[in-house]
Amino acid sequence: MVATQPSAAATVAAPILTCNGLRKRFGGRQAVDGVGFEIAQGETYGLLGPNGAGKTTTISIVCGILARDEGTVTVAGQPLDVGSTKAKGAIGYVPQDLAIYPDLTARENLNFFGRLYGMGGRDLARRVDEILAVVDLADRAKERTEHFSGGMKRRLNIGIGLLHKPRLLLLDEPTVGVDPQSRNAILESVEALGREGMAILYTTHYMEEAERLCHRVGIIDTGTIRAEGTRRELVALIGQRDKVKLTATGDLAAAARSLADFAGVADATPNDGGLELIVDDARGALPRLLQTAADAGLAVTTVEVVEPDLEAVFLHLTGRALRD
Amino acid sequence: MRAALAIAAKDLRQRVRDRSAIVLAVIAPFALAAVFSVLMPSGGNEFTARYVIIDDDGGPIATAFIDGPMAALADPETGVAELVEVASEAEAREQVEAGELDAAVLIPEGFSDAVLAGGGAELTIVGNADATLGTEVARAVSTAFMDELASIRLSVAAVLHAEGGTPDPAHAAELAERAQPATAPLSLGGTLADSRQLGAATFYAASMAIFFLFFTAQFGALSLLGERRGGTLPRLVAAPIAPWTIVAGKALGSFVLAAVSMAVLVVSSTLLLGASWGDPLAVAILVLGAVVAAMGLTALITTLSRTEEQAGAWNSIAAVTLAILGGAFFPLARGPEILQQVSLLTPHSWFLRGISDLGPAGTGIETVLPSIGALFAIGLVTGAVGLARAGRLAVAR
Repeated sequence: MVATQPSAAATVAAPILTCNGLRKRFGGRQAVDGVGFEIAQGETYGLLGPNGAGKTTTISIVCGILARDEGTVTVAGQPLDVGSTKAKGAIGYVPQDLAIYPDLTARENLNFFGRLYGMGGRDLARRVDEILAVVDLADRAKERTEHFSGGMKRRLNIGIGLLHKPRLLLLDEPTVGVDPQSRNAILESVEALGREGMAILYTTHYMEEAERLCHRVGIIDTGTIRAEGTRRELVALIGQRDKVKLTATGDLAAAARSLADFAGVADATPNDGGLELIVDDARGALPRLLQTAADAGLAVTTVEVVEPDLEAVFLHLTGRALRD
Repeated sequence: MRAALAIAAKDLRQRVRDRSAIVLAVIAPFALAAVFSVLMPSGGNEFTARYVIIDDDGGPIATAFIDGPMAALADPETGVAELVEVASEAEAREQVEAGELDAAVLIPEGFSDAVLAGGGAELTIVGNADATLGTEVARAVSTAFMDELASIRLSVAAVLHAEGGTPDPAHAAELAERAQPATAPLSLGGTLADSRQLGAATFYAASMAIFFLFFTAQFGALSLLGERRGGTLPRLVAAPIAPWTIVAGKALGSFVLAAVSMAVLVVSSTLLLGASWGDPLAVAILVLGAVVAAMGLTALITTLSRTEEQAGAWNSIAAVTLAILGGAFFPLARGPEILQQVSLLTPHSWFLRGISDLGPAGTGIETVLPSIGALFAIGLVTGAVGLARAGRLAVAR
């Protein structure tokens, strides 16, 4: 595993979830091999890896539905095991597969799971109403879920996980098999929950979801976390920088020399019809780069920023693509 | 416990919405019991035998045997046999051989004289090899009669010996005549055949109830596999409840459904079919025992299965097989001895035996304690294994 500096969110707040040395073997296959990470309050942590990497096994151990062979899990200061009830109360779990009863209505599903979390009476009724509103199913509350669309079922699936106001939300690939519109709605919901201060563990094999939602990402493959950190930290690990392509007219060679002296620019090369720059932080430096180019007499017509992504990091670390 | 109640309530809500469950639990057993009791009014478990008596003696002892115990066997109200007439011993043997008769009782010439003279007297029972019980009943009745005769002879001999001197034949005959009424009249009361008789409505209501109970009682264990298939089991296990709570909730839901369906069948068959179940308390405990036994066995079978479909198939096979072996479909009394022994391994046999034993008026719970004990023993032993396996099913390892 490649060690990286944790983000500010992880160091400032006390960890809600701490995992150390998790190991799980199924027969001859080591599904999880020494996985460990922490998630702070208000932090969204992503486990990014291809199918079969060990994401679901890890999340199953963390929420106490799968007994581990080795390691420790602590949630909100409470040790967690399969039989732990106190620690489980702090967790909201949204499994990858839909976990709702098709022959019960949306409200009945929520009422049932609410009771399992010790809720009841008016508190439960009020909270169910809130969740129905959050997942936009208030007008379908009395309808059996077997009549719901895939997206509606997914939203209810997430709503059940939020019912008891958990401190830690575990989302296991919640957008698998979801249409683009529902997927976007789910991602917006997760972003909102993160902003509200909930700690979130989010597993996915979609690089763009991890980049969009997660403060920190653990790249997992063959049961091992190969690297973790912010997107920028991970990209830095593999020595890649942002690329800025300018289409421009004017004295390209002079402009390249001016820009090459600019702080954070590693290289500036004129090419046919423009310039190509290698920079540390393209988004941050772009306004000043354009001003410098203009000062050098360039007429810029198009700008393209290419940032190295987590796909490239994964490829670098494992030698294969995320979707292999 | 609150979580277990929530799981049981949720399961029952799902079962009630699933109309097939109501059909299996109440409608089908009641309908079949009604149809069978109309089609076969004699009752599937009623024992009847066909005998012939060849009386080559014609003396007073032979007449006493025919008019006494054999006539009691053929009593239209309380008897269990039909006496038929044939022309000769050869024809009797032929019909027994062909299975048309259960047994022939042969009274040889000189039988009465031999008895009165104190010599060796012998009755011959020719039984059909396939009618074991019928033959045994005839043999038991004959043996009892001969034993009584021996007692009378012994009593008379004892008196004469006490009086001393040479026995006076007239006095001996007088003593014998006086001793005969003092002997207990031969009765079939309390014999196996009599106490196991049930009316058709009661028998079919009970047999269909216990047969379909095995389909109703499996819901709880099956739904555990259903939760796993449907993806809801991980969410249950992830909740802040002990894993055994899930199993307890499933068992509770299954128990309530099975007990309610049995209660509905007992009441409805009594009111609508005229079934006579017997002492209510004893019936209630027998029903509870049957429910526990069915839940235990189906839990064991289900938790040995890998999928819901496999469990459903195995439970159905077990339900039908146990019902056949337990005498729910045809009378075991006519079956071979080995089948009657094997039937004791089935809850069906013990339940039907218990209901049968409650038949005579005045019998209460003490009469059916063996059946109750057997049912609970079967249920608790198999259920303990099933529950342990269900607990392991709930938590992936």
